[in-house]
Amino acid sequence: MLDTSAKPTGKAADVTGPSGTPSRRQRRRTAKVGEQVPRHLRAHRTAYLMITPMVVLLGIFVLWPLAYAFYLSFFEISFYKDAEFVGLDFYTFVLTDPDFYDSLFVGLKLALMVVPTILVLALLLASFIATLSKRMAAFMKTTVYVPAVVSSVVAAIIFVFIYQDEGFANWFIGLFGQGPLAWLNTATTALPAVAVPAVWLGFGVSTLIMLAGILDIPESYFESAQLDGANFWQRTWYITIPSLRNVILFLLVTGVTLTIQEFQLPLVMTNGGPVNATNTPNLYIFNSFRDGTPYATSYSLTAALLLFLVIGTISVIIFRVVSSEKSSDA
Amino acid sequence: MNRSWYAPRRLVSYLLVAGIAVTALFPLAWMAISGFKSQAEVLRSPFQFFPDVWQLENYRLILADPPFVRAMAITFAGAVIFTVASLVVNAMAAYAFARLDFAGKPLWWIVCITPMFVPAMAILLTSFVVVSKLGMLDTLAVLIIPGVASSAQMFFLRQFYLNMPAAVEEAALIDGATRWQIFLQIFVPQSLGPFVVVGIASFLAYWNSYVWPVLVVSNPDLTQIMQYLATFRSARGNEWGMLMAGSTLAALPTIVLVLIFQRYIVNGVRLAGIK
Repeated sequence: MLDTSAKPTGKAADVTGPSGTPSRRQRRRTAKVGEQVPRHLRAHRTAYLMITPMVVLLGIFVLWPLAYAFYLSFFEISFYKDAEFVGLDFYTFVLTDPDFYDSLFVGLKLALMVVPTILVLALLLASFIATLSKRMAAFMKTTVYVPAVVSSVVAAIIFVFIYQDEGFANWFIGLFGQGPLAWLNTATTALPAVAVPAVWLGFGVSTLIMLAGILDIPESYFESAQLDGANFWQRTWYITIPSLRNVILFLLVTGVTLTIQEFQLPLVMTNGGPVNATNTPNLYIFNSFRDGTPYATSYSLTAALLLFLVIGTISVIIFRVVSSEKSSDA
Repeated sequence: MNRSWYAPRRLVSYLLVAGIAVTALFPLAWMAISGFKSQAEVLRSPFQFFPDVWQLENYRLILADPPFVRAMAITFAGAVIFTVASLVVNAMAAYAFARLDFAGKPLWWIVCITPMFVPAMAILLTSFVVVSKLGMLDTLAVLIIPGVASSAQMFFLRQFYLNMPAAVEEAALIDGATRWQIFLQIFVPQSLGPFVVVGIASFLAYWNSYVWPVLVVSNPDLTQIMQYLATFRSARGNEWGMLMAGSTLAALPTIVLVLIFQRYIVNGVRLAGIK
């Protein structure tokens, strides 16, 4: 038994080389000690080596910045003098700042435009794809997924181009006799104009998730409804939607939390303008940090943490709901 | 899934499929086609979909622009390293959490899974402070290393490993295999599908990232492709033909990746078990 484990050990150590931390030296020492200690302790050592890179990286690049952000939010940071402890002052500043609420409102409005559109579109597309032959369904699944892999910078550039004075959007409304619009420079049209690429980037993944849900509905439900003479809309309303209740709920909540956090699209398309009409919370935070006003650092950190509190709580709840359902399935 | 009652409506289906595909892909098609238009034609009024004269000038110009080519190359190299490193780090941790018992496991689980609930913006600004304290600004490392460990990917892979049968592992243990051997020789080869799914997610995350490179990189040699495009747009905003050609080329690797691996991605949605 010793022989068989000794030889491949060296090989295993070589293969793990690229991961960095569990070096060959450490592996050897483990193997030697392993002869005396019971097996379950050796599993400890292996497990620790396996999780070390993950723990170290997350510790340095996520948990430290997070703790640091909390710490800094209690101080007034300035380049000219030492940081001064101000307790919850910045939380009060943020929570009484109308600009913060305005940006939250913009985020909510954007979510209100984007999420229901995506849900309806995804439901219709998924129901339709479920009726197709295998090859056509495969083609459609890929087609709807392609926009999802395009970066929001590229999407922003394409849509700025589409909204040009001589662009496609104005040509299109011209067909209905409408005059050209300055889409991104008019307060009322700017946010809907940002919502369109957000829908375009987001509907593919939702469609695939809904399709997975629809394919899990027993076909006999649809067949008996068909025999009873239910049409497509009735089947969708009475069978598909109730059966997909959990999927829809999941997509609704993740969609809202993600859309509220959207900021790369408005950053590249409008930089929050005109008159803050597209200033989503994250863009507001990002820009107030770049402003470089005396209290910008602490202010934007505190605003980001408050936003995180809300969104993080929602995410934990979704996660609980989804994983508890999974365990009851299995 | 052919649901038979729809058979008579096949023609309608074909038309719908074509219509949806055209609509979904229209922005990309228009971007690519505008790259073939001359400067005069690209913003011509009235609007016209196809150019009168197809010309390669914009594509030629952008490919002759050294910063563009460098940005594509360095981003591609970074994305490949990033993807491989993520797979190594996240798969190892996923295996440990799924199949091994060790002291303090619940504590380490919380450490590794909490980051999943931390929105990027909450730590973006202090992450910048941390990497500058570590002296990592303006290096390739600062673009790659901070995002390598991903709670979501680790969680996804762990779900997969939890569902692998225990029998094979037990047999291998009795034969004297180490946990590393079991992981590398049994689990890793079985994970091709999940690896493709999270690998593509990593590649896309790196390739498409914009704000992080803007914050941490000012050296032109390290300019990432999305950073290049956004800078091009703000600095040379009227050269739409060239910008569209550049955007097309910048979107191409991700689209090709999806076309190659589409089978895995669609299955991946079911693997993720969101329903």
